[in-house]
Order: sequence, then structure tokens, then C-alpha cells
Amino acid sequence: MGKVDVDLSADLGFITLKNPVIPASGCFGYGEEFQPFFDLDILGGFVLKGIYLQPRKGNPPPRLHETAAGILNSIGLAGPGAKELKTIIKRVARFTSTPIIVNVCGETDEEYLEVAETFDAMPEVALLELNISCPNVRKGGKCPAQDDRHTFRLVKLIKQNTRKPLVVKLTPNTGNIVSIAISAQEAGADCLSLVNTFLGMAVHLESRAPVFKNLVAGLSGPAIKPLALKLVWEVCSSVSIPVIGIGGITTGKDVLEFILVGASAVQTGTINMVEPCASVRIIDEIESLMKELKIKNLNEIKGALKV
Amino acid sequence: MKEEKCVVVENRHLNKKYFLMKLEARYISTHAKPGNFIMLAASNTVDPLLKRPFGILKAEPPFIRLYYEIVGKGTELISTLKPNDKVDAIGPLGNSFPSLENKKILMVAGGRGIAPIYYAFEDYTSTNDVFLIYGARSRDDLNLREEIDTVPLKKVLLYTEDGSMGKKGLVTADTREIILENNIDVTISCGPDAMFKSLFHTIDDLEKENYVSLEALMGCGFGICCGCVVKTAAGDYKKVCTDGPVFKMEEIAWEK
Repeated sequence: MGKVDVDLSADLGFITLKNPVIPASGCFGYGEEFQPFFDLDILGGFVLKGIYLQPRKGNPPPRLHETAAGILNSIGLAGPGAKELKTIIKRVARFTSTPIIVNVCGETDEEYLEVAETFDAMPEVALLELNISCPNVRKGGKCPAQDDRHTFRLVKLIKQNTRKPLVVKLTPNTGNIVSIAISAQEAGADCLSLVNTFLGMAVHLESRAPVFKNLVAGLSGPAIKPLALKLVWEVCSSVSIPVIGIGGITTGKDVLEFILVGASAVQTGTINMVEPCASVRIIDEIESLMKELKIKNLNEIKGALKV
Repeated sequence: MKEEKCVVVENRHLNKKYFLMKLEARYISTHAKPGNFIMLAASNTVDPLLKRPFGILKAEPPFIRLYYEIVGKGTELISTLKPNDKVDAIGPLGNSFPSLENKKILMVAGGRGIAPIYYAFEDYTSTNDVFLIYGARSRDDLNLREEIDTVPLKKVLLYTEDGSMGKKGLVTADTREIILENNIDVTISCGPDAMFKSLFHTIDDLEKENYVSLEALMGCGFGICCGCVVKTAAGDYKKVCTDGPVFKMEEIAWEK
């Protein structure tokens, strides 16, 4: 039997990843927590937990609520702040050559810029991912990703002042994700990643109280996969820059499905928390499935959905 | 810590909603220390998605034993596991109990909180005097009594809320007096939140060395999701999974 060679590399234009699997922000800590489980070098890349300028305590508990094939979370972007993250990145970069992606947060445009500039200056960082789903303190808690003009203004500001490729991460919690995607592209984004969590809610029937103090929380996990796949399909059909698909991915088959609707790579989220070695399995599954379906490289199926 | 495919050796129903499980877990059993816990899969599908945390009752390589209570869908499913079933686990996780020598230790267990407490007996009883207060709702919630009888404890005091076994009352009813009468140096407790709160307000001023082993709903068990935090006296949050589950009692913000 002839040996079938498959090429798992994922081409984003500005960077080629060894495979399309990138653990997502908030689901992979700072990378080093996964060191005991597997060699990070096997990954296409990984995104660090979202970072603001200053340390943040995060939200009061409860922060998690399990739902059917998913979880609601209200963590509140707890984190050590930009200064401490720089130290962590230097430490992590010593044991892996996999591209490190920093998820940039901000309560104001100025804060986003300062955080972006901080990590743009670090040679250990490959890409910046702009988390435009952070509640903005000057906009009554509305996030940039819910407003075309704000998205455009913020992405442009970051692009004008940084050199690293910029991935803009979109939220599904907006009226029209396609117009936000187009605004980000017009402002100079190099790539889009979508989707962030879907806002959901949980209540206690007995006490008639909401589960979360913030009332709503972000839903992730396999439950959101079909919703995410549809939005990735819609955005891929409307923009020319590469797209990283995110939402409930747990298997190699899921990865190839996102690529089929047009994604160039994917981010894996919640599965990393419940199965720390999920990336190893998913990458193996992609390879086996490509061999089985005689797909030599990902470009063959990228956006190849027959409609 | 590692992801390990474990084999169910025994999953025995004790009474009411309590079970005793024996798992073959080579890696976890040889690396575990008293106080550690594991995350155990409730299903081999994505629903329920999250693994469940269990304090280890005992590690006897290549086996570990768990003592658990059905509290929801996840533990209900786990209770249906049969011998030779394979089940995914992550462990050993969390910190462990402090090393202590030549101390008078009072261990306080409420309900299923006996599990990690029991695991600590072997280490502690060899070089310390260990006293145990063990309480629960009723006689049927006070399991593992035969196992406890084999441990060389200085004194065992049982409490039930309905008086069906031991003294009638809450596990914390006489803690203060017991500490004073026996010149206790260290307390180590594990049980429900209400027990910790009551204990804290009863004994905090005695200025003993007090440790608590906390239970929490967890997403991952190894520090990633930040979902299991507890508020500290200093006003920030600590993760029960990686900063704990064992904390100094005064570190935690106990509400009145």
C-alpha cells in the first residue's frame, strides 16, 4: 500500500502554521500550564489568556455553570496585567518555538493601544489578537465589536501603531457580524477570528435568582458549534482576509468542517479545559481523516463547500 | 499530573446516595499525596462536558479509592460505572496537607468531607496525636466507620443532626471545648461551607494553626478556567484547584 503524505500546514498569508490547531484565549492559560501534558511544539500556535494593562481580580463567584454540552462562564478576564505577562511570555518562549499569540484587551481605545504596543515590541510574540469584545467604560459597557464605526476606528488605531500581524476577534453578540468583519478588514486587519462566546443566561427556579451576578454569561463548548459554523461561513463569504474559525470544536472532523466553510485555521476552546491533551488527539484525527478522504492539503478543501 | 485512562475495579453503593469506588490508576496512585484530588469524566461524550472533582480517599498503587455522594447529573452517571469500565481522569491535582510532627491535631469532617481527611490519617498518626470529629445529617450519612476504627486515633467523636448516631447536634457544636480540653495545636477540616463558617467563627480567636480543604465546582481542575475561585480575606480571589484545595483558614473570607 502506498504511503499517503498529507500536509497539515495552515497558510494565513502572513504566517504559515504547521497545522491549523490553535488553542484559544482563556482556554489555554499562558501555555505553561499544559507543559506537563504535552509538547507545545506540536501546535499550530496558541493564544494566551486575554490581557489588560493592569492586574484584574475578575468577577465574584459563581463564575461557571454547566449547560447541555457546554458551559456558561463569567470569569471577568481575571489576569496578572501586561507587565507580569511579559515575564511569563519570556519564560514560556524558552520551551517552545510555536507561535505565541497575545490576546489584547482594553477598557478604552488608549488602553488597547498601550497593551498592543507593549507586546508588539516583544520578539517572542508572533501575532496580536485584538479582543474587541471587552466592555468599554466610556461606552456604557458596550464593546467595540458591537459598533462598525468603533471597530473601524480601533483597528485602524492599532494597525497604525504596531507592526505585527493583527487578528481581530469578533463576537457573535452583535446585530450584523458581517458588517463588523468588513469594517475590521477595511481598517487594515490582517485576519479575523470568530466567534467569541454567545451570551446566555441561567436562573435558579427555587430561589428565583439569576445564577450569575452579571445576569448574562458567555456560552462555549460543543453546544455552540453549529451557530459558530454558520457565522464563520457568512463572514468567509464576505471578506478576503483569512479567517480563524472558533466555536465548540472538539474533533479533527470539526476542524475540517470549519475549513470547508472557508476558515484558514481554527481555535479550540473549552475542550482544552476538560481534556488537556485534546490538541494532540485533534491533530492526529485531522491527519487520519485527511488520509481517509484523500485530502493532500488544507487548501484543497478550504472554502470548498458546494452550495 | 497527567491525563490517565483508569479502569473501574469496584463501584459499590454503600447506602442512600453514597458510593465507594476503586479505580486502577497507575500514574495517579503513585504520585498522589493526602489532600490531592482528581477530575473524573462523567461521560465519554460531550454531555455532560465537564469532569467532576473528587478528593482522594486513599491511594494504594496501582489503585485509588474515592468516596462520593450523588449530588447531580455527573455523579449520578459516575455511579452507574461498572467494573472494567474505562474512565478518563486527570490527576493528581491540587496542593496537599501540611507536614506536621509531634502535634495534637484535630480533624473535623462533615459528611463526604471525610474522604481527604481519611487519606491524611496514615501520615499524621505516625508522628502526631490525631483526634477526629465526624458529623453528618444522620447515621446513614456517617459512612466509613469501620475503616476509621482501624486507624490509631486518640479520640473519635461522632455527631448527627438527628441524633441517630453519636451526639445529637452539628459537627462544630463542641469544637471549641475539645480544642481547649485536649490542648490541640492544629485543626484540619473538610466539609460543607456552613461547617467552615461556623468553625471559623467558633475557633478563630484561639489562634491555633487551622487548615481547611475546600470543595468547589470546577471547570478544569488545573488552573486554566479560573472558574473555581474563592474570595480571600485580603479581598482577592484564589483558585481552589491550584492554590488549594488546602488553605489556611484565616486566608479565606468567611461570611457571617
